Amino acid sequence: MNEPLLDVRDLVVRHGTVTAVDGVSFTLAAGETLALNGPSGCGKSSTAAAVLQLRRPDAGEVRFEGRELTSLTDRELRPLRPRMQPVFQDPYGSLSPRHRIRDAVAEPLKVQGRWTTAEGPARVAELLDRVGLDPAYGDRRPHELSGGQCQRAGIARALASEPRLLVLDEPVSALDPSVRAGVLNLLADLQDELALGYLFICHDHAVVRHFADRVVELREGRVTSEWRPRSPGAAPR
Amino acid sequence: MKRLAQRLAGPAGLTRLVCLAAVVTAVGLLPWLSGRDPALTVLRARSAEQEPTREALDAVRRDLGLDAGPLALLTGWAAALAHGDLGTSWVSGTEVLPAVTAGLQVSLGLMGAALGVAVALAATLVAPVLLRGRGSAGGLAAMLAAVPEFLLATVALLVCGVWLGWLPTSGWQGPEHLVLPALALGVPAGGLLGRLVADALPAVLGERWVELWRGAGVSGARIAAAALRRVLPPLVPQFGMAAVGLTGGAVAVETVFAVPGIGRTALGAAKSQDLPLLQGAVLALLLLGLITGAAAALLRRRLLGPALRDAGLTLPRARPARTHPAIPLALFTVLAVTIGWGVLRDPYAVDTTLRLAAPSWAHPLGTDGLGRDVLARLGHGAWATVGTAAAVCLLSLLAGLALGFLPGVAAGAADIANALPPVIVGILVAAAAGPGTGGAALAVGLISWPPLAAHAAALVREVRASAFLTAQRAIGATPWWILTRHVLPSVAAPVARHALLRLPGIALALASLGFLGLGAPPPAPEWGLLLDESRAYVERAPWAALAPAIALALLAALAVTAAAYAQGRRTSRPKEAPIHV
Repeated sequence: MNEPLLDVRDLVVRHGTVTAVDGVSFTLAAGETLALNGPSGCGKSSTAAAVLQLRRPDAGEVRFEGRELTSLTDRELRPLRPRMQPVFQDPYGSLSPRHRIRDAVAEPLKVQGRWTTAEGPARVAELLDRVGLDPAYGDRRPHELSGGQCQRAGIARALASEPRLLVLDEPVSALDPSVRAGVLNLLADLQDELALGYLFICHDHAVVRHFADRVVELREGRVTSEWRPRSPGAAPR
Repeated sequence: MKRLAQRLAGPAGLTRLVCLAAVVTAVGLLPWLSGRDPALTVLRARSAEQEPTREALDAVRRDLGLDAGPLALLTGWAAALAHGDLGTSWVSGTEVLPAVTAGLQVSLGLMGAALGVAVALAATLVAPVLLRGRGSAGGLAAMLAAVPEFLLATVALLVCGVWLGWLPTSGWQGPEHLVLPALALGVPAGGLLGRLVADALPAVLGERWVELWRGAGVSGARIAAAALRRVLPPLVPQFGMAAVGLTGGAVAVETVFAVPGIGRTALGAAKSQDLPLLQGAVLALLLLGLITGAAAALLRRRLLGPALRDAGLTLPRARPARTHPAIPLALFTVLAVTIGWGVLRDPYAVDTTLRLAAPSWAHPLGTDGLGRDVLARLGHGAWATVGTAAAVCLLSLLAGLALGFLPGVAAGAADIANALPPVIVGILVAAAAGPGTGGAALAVGLISWPPLAAHAAALVREVRASAFLTAQRAIGATPWWILTRHVLPSVAAPVARHALLRLPGIALALASLGFLGLGAPPPAPEWGLLLDESRAYVERAPWAALAPAIALALLAALAVTAAAYAQGRRTSRPKEAPIHV
């Protein structure tokens, strides 16, 4: 088999004297959804932040697309960051209250030097359309949207970086049950279409069972078990 | 104990020590820092006849040790200080220490009486809120707190001393001499204390436990006592700052009522360039401020005990009296029209035939002792005062923004800046650079940034903790992009609005320096200076004194209502995004 998209080995994250993540290892292939499941305080979110190198791990390796990330400097890491994008739990907090949705989605293009006045706006409209938002919503600010719409805008911003891996940190747990299914279906469609790898942080067993290909159970910063919700022979989605 | 060590060793503790050392060093180096040649001052003071020849001046410099250079000067001063020797006065040739202790005794008596007035006033302001269980005395209290001591002292002297003749207006002979100065010094402090408590009380009385206690039949008096016990400890540091304000206010009040206290001694020494006496007096005032601050911290520790160590006990967000925007707007309009009218007239035209004329069509606010038009001087003075205040505002905004990004450093420096009243910094700057607009602006600017820095630091913390900033790092944005596109725009606008609202307060501080002769020199029509000049002929031409007094009172009212309006907006605005944790 090819090299996995993401290969995490013996990851350790400490917060002061507390060891939040204590030697966690897992792999994730392109097009696969791996769920990190466990009670609150088990180290799920610390693992996610360490994988994204938003919080540098204290020990261990994070290999992404064959490159070891923990030894890179911030400057060396910056061009690689767009390839792995986070989607946050709080749909409102993840967008700047001062900026229009359109500007938020355009920002990755501008930061990464892919913005042109000719093609940029069309690309933003395309991304908004792709996540099921009317491009007219681009003129609004986060507080003028619903939680579900904000979360879709957050996903559009993540897609603007053209990532290979999305780290979904409880992406639907702050949403109304009625809009959860819509966002999860969108994520499933995007994965089929773009062969994205998903590292899915979640504490809801029902969602995990339905959405993940593989589940890693975490307790107190350690992997306790790994299981597959669906039998390997089952038909692909 | 460990925590104390951490506090002292952390960046805040370090900068606190560095700033304190810098202030003390500046005091010690005053003779060297002084832009005006101290040798000339000393020579004049020693003998009026002696010609200021090069030889004579050199002899004086050698005598004073000024030729040895700053380091030797500083070490000599510090060594003498360690032995309790503050040197001898350059003007009178007597020991400094007895003069300082005598002044300190008088000032402590005055401050004690003023503190009594302040507590009595604060209790009167708070009692109705406590008895009714709701409402606020905040508005009136805020107004009293904003009236500067020098204005209150002048008006009290005019009304009670000169017109009514009830009380003596100067000197320090008996208890009747204590009444007016104690009132002038105590009322603003009492207003401040009353406002702090009255603002905090309604929110505390709205807490669940009050309802529960009432339901359980606990008496109103016990609930009131418990509410006070709940409100006071977190406010103690601010009480400490009010006490520090007394040391600055004492300078103005003692000068107006000719009370031989430490503040008047310091001001007189600064004006006559008697630097050893000034050093002693300023050190005494600094020590007083620092001891008060330390006592407040200690009291808070005693009152709160373990609550302080764990999470800290915070008050519910105060609900200050809201102000209708029409009030500050109306005050602003009255001031603007007066100033606009005055600016069109000539403030320097002397007409000796029309000295101290009553208001008329030709001179709507009358004329002063030289026959100059009071309205014109008021208008042009506002231009100078408000223009300088705007420059100071801008500087403290920039300093506040810069320091907002270094909260550890800023907190330590802010502690020292808060322990220094503007008048004392003004005295130091004037002693070093000579009195002038620039020196007054520097003095006020040096200590007006802490609230802005605290506001900026809170906003920076809030923005840095937000998920959208994390998303910026994840898309590969550089720290510069994040700072300029996200952090600064979120922080700069609210802090700039805050700075603008502090403008009237800064103008008042500048006016108080002008009143004490530490600001613009006499021909200038600065407002504080106008009030000071008109005191001399107040019995014959009350309008000349009343016009600047009223203008300053309007400015104080504008400062209070504008700040209250802004605060009301800040507290009532809904959060921009719900936070899920």
